[in-house]
Order: sequence, then C-alpha cells, then structure tokens
Amino acid sequence: METVFSQIAWLIPLFPLIAFIILIAIGKQGNKWSSYISIGFTLLSFILAFLVLIERLNGTMDAYTWNEFDWLSFGDISIKLGFEINNLNAMMLIVVTLVSLLVNLYSKAYMKDDARITVFFSYISLFTFSMLGLVISVNLLELYIFWELVGVCSFLLIGFWYEKESAKAAAKKAFIVTRIGDVGLFIAILLLFWYMPNHSLDFTDIHNAFSTNSIPIEAWVVTLIAILIFVGAMGKSGQFPLHTWLPDAMEGPTPISALIHAATMVAAGVYLVARTYDIFLASSIAMEVVAYVGGFTAIFAATIAIAQNDFKRILAYSTVSQLGYMMLALGIGAYTAGIFHLFTHAFFKALLFLGAGSVIHALHKQDIREMGGIWKSMKVTSWTFVIGALALSGIPPFSGFWSKEAILTEAYIDNKFLFIIGITAAFFTAFYMTRLFKLAFMGDSRAGNAPKESPFVMTLPLIVLCVLAIIAGFVFTPWTSWLGEWLTGDVVEEHTNWIVMIISIIVALAGIVLGWIMFGEQSKSSQSHNTRNWAYKLLENRYYIDELYHWIIVKPLRGLGLLLNAIDRFIVDGIVKLTANIMLGTGRVGTSVQNGQVQTYGLVTLIGFIIIIAAMLGRRYF
Amino acid sequence: MLEHLPILSLITFSPLIGILILLFIPGQKGKAIRWVAIATTILTLLFSAWLYIGFDNSSSGMQFNEEVKFLEIPLNSELIAPPGTASIDYAYEFKYIMGVDGLSLALVFLTAFVSLMAALASVYIKKRWKTFYILFLLLEIGILGVFFARDLILFFIFFEITLIPMFFLIGIWGFNDRERAANKFIIYNGVGSAIMLIAILILINTAGFYYVEGSELVGDILRYTSDTSVITDNLFDPQSIVNLEGTIFHLNDVMKSFIFIMLLIAFGIKLPIFPFHTWMLKVHIEAPPSIVMIHSGLLLKMGAYGLIRFGVILFPEQAKEWAFVLAILGIINILYGAILAFVQNEFRLILAYSSISHMGIVLLGIAAFNEAGMQGAIYQLVSHGLISALMFLIVGSIYERTQTTQLDELGGLAKSIPFISGILLIAGMASLGLPGLSGFISEFLAFVGLFETMPVVTVVGTLGIVLTAVYVLRGVLKITFGSLPVQYTKMNEARLIEAVPMIALVTFILLLGIYPAVLIDPMQETILSIITKMGG
Repeated sequence: METVFSQIAWLIPLFPLIAFIILIAIGKQGNKWSSYISIGFTLLSFILAFLVLIERLNGTMDAYTWNEFDWLSFGDISIKLGFEINNLNAMMLIVVTLVSLLVNLYSKAYMKDDARITVFFSYISLFTFSMLGLVISVNLLELYIFWELVGVCSFLLIGFWYEKESAKAAAKKAFIVTRIGDVGLFIAILLLFWYMPNHSLDFTDIHNAFSTNSIPIEAWVVTLIAILIFVGAMGKSGQFPLHTWLPDAMEGPTPISALIHAATMVAAGVYLVARTYDIFLASSIAMEVVAYVGGFTAIFAATIAIAQNDFKRILAYSTVSQLGYMMLALGIGAYTAGIFHLFTHAFFKALLFLGAGSVIHALHKQDIREMGGIWKSMKVTSWTFVIGALALSGIPPFSGFWSKEAILTEAYIDNKFLFIIGITAAFFTAFYMTRLFKLAFMGDSRAGNAPKESPFVMTLPLIVLCVLAIIAGFVFTPWTSWLGEWLTGDVVEEHTNWIVMIISIIVALAGIVLGWIMFGEQSKSSQSHNTRNWAYKLLENRYYIDELYHWIIVKPLRGLGLLLNAIDRFIVDGIVKLTANIMLGTGRVGTSVQNGQVQTYGLVTLIGFIIIIAAMLGRRYF
Repeated sequence: MLEHLPILSLITFSPLIGILILLFIPGQKGKAIRWVAIATTILTLLFSAWLYIGFDNSSSGMQFNEEVKFLEIPLNSELIAPPGTASIDYAYEFKYIMGVDGLSLALVFLTAFVSLMAALASVYIKKRWKTFYILFLLLEIGILGVFFARDLILFFIFFEITLIPMFFLIGIWGFNDRERAANKFIIYNGVGSAIMLIAILILINTAGFYYVEGSELVGDILRYTSDTSVITDNLFDPQSIVNLEGTIFHLNDVMKSFIFIMLLIAFGIKLPIFPFHTWMLKVHIEAPPSIVMIHSGLLLKMGAYGLIRFGVILFPEQAKEWAFVLAILGIINILYGAILAFVQNEFRLILAYSSISHMGIVLLGIAAFNEAGMQGAIYQLVSHGLISALMFLIVGSIYERTQTTQLDELGGLAKSIPFISGILLIAGMASLGLPGLSGFISEFLAFVGLFETMPVVTVVGTLGIVLTAVYVLRGVLKITFGSLPVQYTKMNEARLIEAVPMIALVTFILLLGIYPAVLIDPMQETILSIITKMGG
C-alpha cells in the first residue's frame, strides 16, 4: 500500500507553525482577520490528517518512520529528529486537528471583542503545532521537546487574561506542577539513554528492546523507568497528587479549556504511557502503580466535582476523573479500551466545555448557583450539552458508554477491586453531571439577564461535536472490536459482558435519578442545608490538598530561602568582611608601631628575636 | 586569505581603533561618541564572523597561530643551576602567542556579539560618554585577549586588563552604592589574580622550560617560558624532568593537586563558585545594566574558561580526582542560587543568584568528564552569556521607564509595554531551559553527561529544573502580569535601539536552541581531544 500522505505528514504540524509566525509578525494590525489565518492553516492540517487516516485505514500495520535529521551530536552519539506515522498517531492527529479546528472556529466569535485576539490565535496555532509535533515525534527526546512546548502554550493561554491575579497564579501553578512531572520524564530519558543499545531513544527501538527483553537491564531499573515516565504523565494528565493545576487552569478562556485542558494536551500523558507501553508491560509493579493511581484519581476527582459550584471547575474535575479512567485502563492492560476512552472523551468533553463557554458567553457568569433557566432560551446549546452529559455519564448508545464499558469489562475480569472503584466513580459522574445540568439549565433564571443563543460559528462546533459524541463509540462496541485490531495489530476477541453492561447502565441511571431528585425545584434550600455538612465542606474545599501543599512545600521552601538569605548575607559575606577587617586592623597596628621612637623599634626587634628563637627551639622538639 | 592575516590580533585589538578615534572627539559630542563605539564593536563582530567562517571544524588543535618573541631575560645561572649543570645558561623568554580552537572560538564570537549588544544598550549612560566608551572598548580587548592567549603570562595580562576598566565602569557609572561595589569587585578579583599568578609562576618554574642546543660559541641554553604548549608537553611527557623524581624540577602529584586547587580557587572566584560569590551580587545590583550584560554575560565565562583551559586540560588526573567535588560544588551552586533567587525582592538580585545557579550547570558538565558533559558546559557558557545579556538589556529598559526593579513596586507591565514584556517572558523561558531555546541544550547535555558517571548527583541536580521554573516565573510574572500600577500606565514602548539588540539576542537564543550544530560543529573536535587526553 502506498504511503503518499504519511510521507508528507510532517506538513501537518508545520501549517499551524506558519500561522503562528504570520500572526506574531503582523501583531495588532491583524485583529480583524487573524482568526481566518489560524482557521485556514488548521483546516489544511485537518485535511492532510484526514487523508493520512484514510491511508492508514486501508494500509498496512507498519509504521512509516523517517528520522534522518542529525540534530544534536556529542562524541560518536547523534540524536536524530524525524517523524513517525502509525495507527495510534493517525488517530491522535485527527482528534487534535479536528478539535483544534472546531475550537478555532468557535473562538472567532467567543473572542471577537478581545483586544489581543491576534495574540490569542497565535498562541492557539503554536499550541496546535506543538501538540501535533508531540504526536508524530519519532523518539522520546523529541516528544519531550514538544511536551514542554505544549506546556508553555497551556501556560500562556491560562494566563491569557494576565491582568487577573487569579489567572496569573493559575498559569504559574500549571507550569510548575507539570514541571515536577516533567523532571520525572527527564530522568527516565536519561536512564533510557544510557541503557538503550546505541543510546537510541526511538520509539521503535524502545518497542523492540522491551517487548523482546533483549537488553541487559535489571528489573528494578525497568520499573523505575516506567514509573518515572508515568510521573511525567501524571503531571500532564492531572493524576493525583499532581492534579491541582488542572482545575485552576480554568482561568483561561473557555475554548482553551476545551482544546487544551480537556481534549488534547491533558490526554498527552495517556498517549505517552501508550507510546512507551512496552516498558510498562515489562514491569508488573509499574502497571499496578498506573492502574491504582488512575483508579484513585477517577473516584477522588469525581467526588470533588459533586461539591463544586463553578461550571468549568466541575467539568475540570470531571476531566481529571476521566483521565484517571484511561490510566486505569492502561494499567490493567486494557490498551485499546484506554485509547478508545481518550478518543471518545476528546469529543464529548470538548463539547461540554464549548457548551459551558456558550452559556458563560451568554450570561457572563460561571457560578451554577446564579444560572438556571437556560433550557428555554438556548436550545442548541442545551440539547448538545445534554447529549454530551449523557455520553459522559455512560448512557447508551452515546460514545462514552461504549468506552467506559470497555474499561469496566476489562477491570471486571482483571481486578474486581478496581472494577468497584470504577463503577462507583461512574455513579458519581452521573450524579454530578445531573446536578450541574439541573442547577445550570433547569428551573427559573437566577441570572437576571435573559440569555440569548450563541451565533452560528459557535453552535456549529457544538453540533459537529455532538454528532461525534453520538457516533464515535460505534468503532469499538462489544460486537465490533475493529478498533482494537487496527490499533494493536492483534485480533481482539469480542468482549460482550452482559453483567457489566447492565450494572453500569443501572448505576448511571441511579446517579441521574438521585441527582434529579436531590437538586429538584427546592435546590436552593438543599444547598444551604448541605453547606453545613462537614463531608460537603471537605469536598467543597477539594480535600484541602492545595492548602496542604501550601503548608508542606511552598512555606518551607520560602522559609529555607529566607534562612539561606540571612546566612548568605551575614555569615558567607560576614566572614569575608571579617577577614578584610582583620587585615585592616593588622595594618593599623603595624602603622602605629612605626612611630619614630627608637624604644618601640627596639621592643619590636626584641619580640621578633624571641619569636625566632622560640620557633627554632620548637622545631627541634616537634 | 585568512592564513596570511594576523586575524586573532586583528580581532583582539580592533577596539583600539575605536579608542584612538574616540580620543580625538570632544567629550560633549555624545552621539558621535556612541556611534563610533558601536561601529567599532560591529567591526570586531565582523572580524569574528570571518574567523568563524574560516575556522576549520575538523581540526582539534590550535588554528591561526601567531607567535612573536617579545623579550628574553637572562637569569643568573650560578644561583639556580643544580650542581653539575653549571655550564648551561638560563633565560626567561616571554612570547606573544595567540591561537584559537573550538573552545575559544565559541567564546570569542559570544564576546564580540554581546559587546555590540551592550554598546547599543549603553544609550542610557548619562555622563562622561567618552571615558565610558574608552573603558568599555578596553574591557572588550581584555576579554578577547583572554580567550586567544596561549601564553600564561599573556593570559594573565589580558585577565588583569579586564579588571581595571571594570573597576571604573562600576565605580563611576553605577548606582548609589557603586564605590563599595567597585572596591569589593577589585579586592575579590585581586585575590583571585594573586592566587592565579602564584600558580602560573610555579608552573613556569617547574614545567615551563626547554633546551636549546648550543653552538660552539654559545653553550646550551635552558629557557623558561610560559608558553602553554611547552608546559603541556612537559606535563604529559613521562620522560621530561618535570616528572622525573630526583631532579629539582620534580612536580609530584601533591604539587599538581596543589596547583589545581589554586587554579580552582582563582577561577572559582570569577565563576563564581559558592562561597566566593558575594562580590558578584554587589556588581549585579550596582553596576549599570549594560555593564552587567558584559559582566554576567562574558566576565563570568572567563572563570569557567580558565578552569577548563588550565585546570582541566593541564591537570586531567587531578581534575578527575576532584570530579566528585566539582559536581557537589555544581549542585550547591544550582540549588543554593535557585533557592536564594526565590526569596529576593530585587529583580537584579534574582538574576544574580540565577547566574550562580546556571554556572552550577557548567561545573556539572565539567565534572562529567565525557563529551556530552564538556559540550554541555561550554554550550551553557554561550547560552547563559546570551540569556543574561538579554535579561540585563531588559532590566536596563525597564529601569529607565520605572526607576525601579523592585518586584513589589512593579506589575502588569505587559499592558503598557507588551513588546518588552514579551521579550522578558522569552528570556525567562530560555533561562528555565525551555526546549527550543538555547538553555535546554546545555542543560540536557550536562545532565546526560553527568548521569553516566554520577547518576545520583545528577538526579539531585534535576531538582534545579523545577526550582528554576519557580523563581523565574515568580520574577517575570510579577513584573509583567497582574494589574498595572497607575504611575506606569503611560510608558513608551521599546525604541528601535532597544528593540534591535533584543530581537538579535532572541534570534541567537532561538538559533542555538533549534539548530545546535552551529555551535557544536566547531567545538566538537576540540572537546574530543580534551576528553581523549584525559583518557575518558
């Protein structure tokens, strides 16, 4: 089969880069038409990604790899850059370009009144470039480069409204917390570099080395490498305990939350684990770590989402929770299910965020307690949002049901404990989404202004994503395991498991019904009742994790800094000053001795003579 | 064509042309003085670019050598001759020897480039332009000479030449406490120079001699010289009298360690290595920003250069023995600098501590004793030179507009001066080692290199990656993000003379980050030969 489009796939990230350079160059003058440049180039990327996908669908399993660019050499080692197209990458390319295209389109209306709209579109283009570069990276170092670049774009876009103190703090936090994870990945790269044959960091070589156990490497080192890679993934994908930045990242413009903090960048951690999966498979301990951290994050974040009042923060915790599902899936060996959930989640979560953006755009409010009554006036937003919410809650036949069901089925077979965790989290998910929907969309309007439906450029992406949220699940159902074969190359058995399917439907429905009853018409009174509850308080304050970090990390670091500062000023510099003063003092004494009196000189001579005699005698005895 | 020109001397002394012209321009013609100085630095940069183009990347040795014998001092042979060798005549000869290899080339180009940037940034110097620029150009001569000199005494002379102009540049044009800063600068560096001079004299006396076969008229002559090639040959030749026990010239291992430590201290003060860093904090705060560009961007690099050129290359065994100590010192620099930078309120102090932290990477790279590490160390010198020059260029521009660089008095400048704020953000990103910018390559190389020999130490060092992000973002975001104080709402955006060097520096930082071969290709062979000599 031909690989025409795969060969030119390096153009896919290049288009948004060109858009970025153009936009940065024209600056403010381009405010009127900057969106067209960004949309146009992203569209080109999307078309090419689409062609690549078609080609991969009809083509072989073999990856197309090109790494000929000598980038960095030292000694006789040379690190090359290049790109790789395989089925996983092709799928990621289409997800990233499609969501990016839709978000670009949506932002055209959402950001139209912002004075820095050109800057906004240039950042979005830079992000799209970096994310696509990350996906087609041929080796781990190249991935790390783009990994950092997407982090910076995320930072820039979270802090886009830089005048707000909260946005500034959130941007800083996002950068630093993810960087802690990045250091883990960095050390993993160092380890791999010295252990891999020929110091190769190519994914193909990593795959070959670890899947066949062909390199001499101790088991604990493999575990260490895998866990360190996972630490990097934890940072990007908001896994506990590095999840704290993601909810704060909601300070950024809402289209950004949809693109970066729901559909693409945060999934990069999951992608990274999938890309280096052979290392994880070689270590059962690492696999368990991934599974349990993922499972814990899934349920942990879902409980927090119940007690949040900010529309976007609820969705953010939901994202953290769903990413936990994906990690859980990878950790129990359900590779296809994990990737599949990444795929469906990208669409329905982007849909939910863009829906949230549409609501916020209309109301200029984010607190769901101040919303209500949107259902009547914003039909498209409401309907698409409902479908997105149902997909997230795991109601058939929407896409989220199929992917969550695939994960739960594997968990049911593999690890009953994690299955219970997963099913409980699924219950919470249905519950908090119902609460969100009930408070924000139903009832009477508490906002004070009558919301109007958003313009077509904003509702069009909603509709497209809504369609995808409905149909994307059918590529991998209990009866069609085609996706699994396409991704892994192995024949995947059909995995119909009626028990799991029925349990998960019942649990999801139970969550919805309970939520619907609890947050009925008298929701206001129940709210005030709830706030007095200690458990509610714990959830509302996100288990006080932020406060904990503040007290055990930030404060001590600052204290240490101040202590060292004092030491630097008074002791390190003090010793120098003391030395200087001693010199000066000696000089003064010496000067005062030379006072012109012969008696003094005689005395000095005598003292000197005695010292010399003493020294000579001393030498004899010691 | 380049072969027939004394290109190295041409580069080194080209600022002299500017100085001569400046002497004939009346002091009050500020504009003319400034442009002559800028034109001179451009000339030096062009010569350096020419050298870069003509440089043979495949050669590991010295290129474009220039050698002129300056003077010969006959020594009293009866006094110093060992018994039985009285028939030999002794003489000390001093040669002017210049040469360039990959290590020098990188730093020379950096010097020429940063000097031009600093000359442009000196628009905010408000008094005595003529003296300022004469001293400025003199300083440039000194730095260039340091990187070309192949003779220890010549090196020492150039090294000292940098001190005097710097002393006056801090003391006359600095901020409030400038005189104390200048004094502190000269005392510390004076001590460093004294120690270096002792080490050099011991080296000349023990390793710096060679025989000249006498004719019938004149007897054999034993010449003392400070030529590094002679010293290197003697040190590495097991047959030389330096290494032969029983001769009075015997330089045993203890002596070698002793000289190595002296060099480590002498250059460690310049680098600076903790705890010898307090002088440079003062310079960072008190010197005018354009001079700090030179100081932080170039002068600190002389310390690292000296350490590699004389400490590591002449005493590879001792350096290897001390590798662990070097690595620990590097870690201390990285973490100590980063933690202290985190609590400062004065942005210039943040940058000063940041320099200490970044110089730690250089020490780590040297301590690795492999190609990756050494390459990372030198890459870091160039990268940090560019980044700190850019940082202080911005500091100068901001100070000119706000009259302060205290963090708690600043904020929200992205609104009133978006261009400068954007450049500051890029500089910050480069400083914290973002891939795509130069700082990442050096960090990566240094860590990869050190990881081979000392993995645990390296892991501790990677903590610096997080801490750097913490203090850089704290400083940069405090200045550019947040709400804008009322008094700063009406500020002028960067002028052309500010924007040009900013863009030029950013371009180079990007170039080094994206396509490292431009710097690595010329120095690779040199580094390979250094490492091979160490048997690493």
